[in-house]
Formats: sequence, C-alpha cells, structure tokens
Amino acid sequence: MTKTLTREDLLKAYRTMRTIREFEERLHTDFATGEIPGFVHLYAGEEASATGVCMNLTADDHIASTHRGHGHCIAKGVDPVGMMAEIWGKKTGTCKGKGGSMHIADLSVGMLGANGIVGGGGPLVCGTALAAKLRNQPFVSVCFFGDGASNQGTIFEAMNLASVWNLPVIFLAENNGYAEATSSKFSVACDNIADRASAFGMPGITVDGFDFFAVYEAAGAAIDRARNGGGPSLVEVKLSRYYGHFEGDQQTYRAAGEVQNIRDTKDCLMQFAHRVTSSGEIAQAELDAIDAEVKALIDGSVVKAKSDPKPTEADLLTDVYVSY
Amino acid sequence: MKHIHTIPSIGIVANPASGRDIRRLTSKALVFPTVEKINMIERLLGAFGAVGVEHVMMMPDMVGIAAGLIRAIDGHRAQGLQPWPVVDFVPMPLTDSPRDTQEAVRRMRAAGVAVIVVLGGDGTHRIVAGECGDTPLATLSSGTNNAFPDLREPTLTGLAAGLVATGAVPVSEAARRNKLLRVRGSKVDEIALVDVCVTRQMHLGARAVWDPATIAELFVTFAEPDAIGLSSIAAMLEPVGREAPRGSWVRCATSGLGVLAPIAPGLVTPVGIDEHGLLAPGRPMQIRTEQGCIALDGEREIELNGHQTYSVTLELDGPLTLDVPATLAAAVRRGAMVRDLIRSAAP
Repeated sequence: MTKTLTREDLLKAYRTMRTIREFEERLHTDFATGEIPGFVHLYAGEEASATGVCMNLTADDHIASTHRGHGHCIAKGVDPVGMMAEIWGKKTGTCKGKGGSMHIADLSVGMLGANGIVGGGGPLVCGTALAAKLRNQPFVSVCFFGDGASNQGTIFEAMNLASVWNLPVIFLAENNGYAEATSSKFSVACDNIADRASAFGMPGITVDGFDFFAVYEAAGAAIDRARNGGGPSLVEVKLSRYYGHFEGDQQTYRAAGEVQNIRDTKDCLMQFAHRVTSSGEIAQAELDAIDAEVKALIDGSVVKAKSDPKPTEADLLTDVYVSY
Repeated sequence: MKHIHTIPSIGIVANPASGRDIRRLTSKALVFPTVEKINMIERLLGAFGAVGVEHVMMMPDMVGIAAGLIRAIDGHRAQGLQPWPVVDFVPMPLTDSPRDTQEAVRRMRAAGVAVIVVLGGDGTHRIVAGECGDTPLATLSSGTNNAFPDLREPTLTGLAAGLVATGAVPVSEAARRNKLLRVRGSKVDEIALVDVCVTRQMHLGARAVWDPATIAELFVTFAEPDAIGLSSIAAMLEPVGREAPRGSWVRCATSGLGVLAPIAPGLVTPVGIDEHGLLAPGRPMQIRTEQGCIALDGEREIELNGHQTYSVTLELDGPLTLDVPATLAAAVRRGAMVRDLIRSAAP
C-alpha cells in the first residue's frame, strides 16, 4: 500500500538530510585543523539514502552501519550532539568518547553501530532479525553496506542465511562507485549489485540514491514486505560521495569536476527543495528556517565537544564487556 | 551530408536500467540481470551472422553490457565459431540516463541502419520511438512487465531483423505501424506507446506505477486481455486491438464495481471503475486529476501541481515494428532460408 508523506514527514526528511549535510561539512572543515582524533569517512552526498530508508523504520527496528556511518546514525535518531562529542573523543560522547567515528552505536534507537569491518554488518542484522522472528515481533533489520562490501564473503553468507531462514532483513547496498580508491567498474563483476539477489532467491532492485522520494518508496516496499513476513530483499541505491574515502584522500582516481557536476545537477537536498516548493507543499521560508536551526545545532555541538572533558585513565577499564 | 552504411547494418539498444524497478518488491517480477541482456545480444549476433548481416552499431553504456559484450565477442572469435557481424559501439558521450538512448538512436538513424533492435521495457521503447522516425524497430522485452515489446527468443527476432536488413524481406511485408498517445501541456510534449496513467501519488518517487489503488485515469493505445500491465485494466472492460484505429480511456474508482486485471507478474487484482470509453484519433482528452503524477508507459514522468492542464491525444502514426512471425513466414515464401550446403561447406 502506498504511504502518503504528510507535510510533517517532508519537513522531517529535509531536517534529517540537512542535519547530516551540515554535520559532515563541519567535520570536513574541522578535521583539517588536526584537532579531531582518528579517521572520519564522510557521508555528504548520500543523505537521501539513510533518510529515505530510516523514515520507514521505528526505534524497535535495527540497522547496522558502515565505516561511513554518521548519516545512518543521524537518520536512525542518534543525537548529533553526542555524536560530535564522540568523534572529538569526549566523555560526553554517544559511546563515552571511546568509540570514535567508526564505532558510534546507540542500541536505544536500534543503531547497532558504525563498523570498521567492511561487510561486517550482514551477520549482525541476521542476528537481530532472527531474534525478532523467534519472538514474533514485527521488527525488521537493515544492513547498510557499500560496493566494496558487496564483494565480501560475509555479505554473501548473510544473504544466504537471511534467505534460508526467511529473515526480515533488507540488504541496503549504497553503491557510490568506489571502494576506497578502486572504481566498482573494476571490482564488481556484475556491475549492478542488485543482480546478485536472484542467486539467493530474493528480489533485488536498483534505485536513484539522489532522490529521497525514490529511496523512501522503494525502501518502504522492501521494509513492508519484510515486516509482513515476505523475507529478505536487496535494494541497491546508486549515489555518490562528495568527499574522499577518508578525510585527506586526494581522490586522484576521480575525474576533474566529477563531484562538482553531481553537486550542481543531482544533489539530493537541492532536488528535494525544488520538488516540495514547486508543488506548493512546503514554503522556501520553512526550509530556510530549518537550515538556520540545524546550523545552530551543529555549531553548538562543536562548541560543546571542544570544551567537554576527555575520558580519564579510570575509564579505560569500564564498558569493555557487556553483562547479559 | 549523412554518412550512410552501404553494407547491411543493424542498431542495437539495450537499456542497462531495465528490469530492476520497485515492481520486483511489489509483485513477483524478478530482477533482469545484465548477464542475461548480454546473452540476448549474443543470440541476436548469431542470427545476424547466419543471414549475412555484416555490421552492428551498438549503444555503449556505463554499467557493464558493453564491457561484457566485448568479452563475449573476443571469446566467440577465439573459438573460431560461425562469424558474427562486426560490432562498433556508437562513439558518444555517456550520461547514464535516458539521454544516452536518445543520442544513440539519433546517431544510428543518421548512419542509416536498416533496423534497430531494442532490448528493454515499454519505457525504453517509448524513448527509442521518440527518435527513430521510420526506421523499423525489432522489439524484445528485457523484463517481465511489458505490453509493447515481444517476449520472444532473441534468435528469432535477430533472424527477422537480419532478413529485413539484408533485403531478403521488404519492410512493407515485415513491419506494421503502431499507435501512440501524445501528452501535451504548456511546457510538455511527450509520447507513450501503450498507456498514459494518471496516479494520485504525489511524487515521481520510485517511478513505476505499482499500486492500483492510486490510479485515477488511464488512456491506452491498445488493450489486449492477454497483456500484462496497466493496459489490462482497459482490456478487461473492452479489448482494443493493436491495429484498430482507436484507443480507450478509463476513470478509476475506489469503490463500486471493478474488473480483475493482471497489473503485474503474479498480481491479479480488482480495480474499481467509474467510467470508460473509446478514444478517437486526433481528438484530445483533458486530464481531470489536478494533484498527482502522469506516468508514461508505466513510469511516473510528470508531477501535477494543479497549475497546468494536460491533454492526451491518440495518434495513428507511431513507430514501425517488425512482425517477427510475418517476417519469417515471408522469408520462407521467398526461399530466403534455403542454403546450398555443399557450397557453404567449401573452403
């Protein structure tokens, strides 16, 4: 059944995408100062994917993310202020400053964690999906992974397991065209990751990842199908990242002007704003107000992150193991 | 001055994006993989080579059909099998969008190909039809949800196209004229080959029209009860043949009486009907719906915001397509399939 997006839904979608963009653009600037520890892999450009998927989910649904996980975290409901503190390595962070960018997790909102292991999310969501199935709970799990992870055995094993157990899992392939510095044209044998679905007896589709409405609708169909007992599916979202694999990547493997051309012609926020204002559903002033609020939120998060305390030596031995 | 090939040449357009839309989740359609499209082209090339086609112009792409075909051609040549035609890729910039199909067809037409073989769905054929003029099309469905292209073994389509390209069967015996629907608005002039569907879905979204509950209006060039897809709704009310000089229209309702229609693979569902009628050629009908989208051959293309009016007109001068059974029957009548095996086997 087709879901109708209300005005509140549209405003929420824009706010989420703008929050991710502002968060990532700010990290791009601040990481260059050398003050932020560790690595960051930015999600800017891919906002419509995380937002379009997660707006179909509840807090009881789970997602597993990747090394490029900030967007997934924000879209799933993780507090951006806590995330910024986490990335700055501060005690007030989502994981008390001990995880950093690639290990942000918040089980209270169903976020199983960003993950430094490429392809590591597949087995995790099979676990949460199996738990939901055994408990007769109508919860689904989404595994975000990239074109690089699409070649990993863990993803194939997870797709096989999800299929034979008919688990409520959505394998969400974010194909941004590059695994680190290697073009998917050289490394993904079938070019379209969705083509691999049929080998596991599940449906596979491809969707335009620059278009929130396309992702929302396609992911919604996959999620509804899984929630109603229809089993797993593979949704390939074709999109692009605006920055390098990591901050500092010189991107010599990309054509000159490639990113700027995408920003100018396909940007998901630009497309979304044009659609909702030209249809009369949302006024430009409302979007402008969200922009200002989001900027204030991210500015505030950075100020707080800079001044918050770091973990102490005593914190090293806490949160190492979880008691069940 | 146009450069026209003097040897029999055929164009091939294979849509790399077809067979992967949302209907794989909302119905029982399966993904149509790139490897299958490449294999279909190999079957075409085998048939072309057998009837003397020497040259093929192939649309390039960014997602693996061209790359896979180059590998297949190398492998075929290495094995010393029956020769295939020379395959040249159309030299053109790629945008990874429907504009690539338009550009490829323009260039094939300028080069004077005798036939263009199209692998895709109704939407792909719509885009080709907008550019091909009177170059006949040989249609092949690369998907499971199409009414316009043939769902046929490509070897046979390749034989028919090859026989026309080499002059063994004249176009006048091989091709038939199709109808089309023209959608006009103040800034819009688009065509559809099978159906124009007005859906109450507000956004283009995932493009394909998959939820029958959202359909408000439907206009069709033909309505065959044994066709899958949206046109089946009209067909179950009053069939209209592909060559009949009329189309039909339907306004849908969410309650009352309806018809059972096979709107997607494995999905046969009742669709409520408010009113319906026949569409005469050349007489525009206004679209009444103000909020929603207009879908052309099953894909949402135009968002309606209540500020513009649109009309739909049936036209009888659509593209030419090969009638494969008629073409092969004509070839047999003309003795075009007879070969001298002794001469063929001579070194």
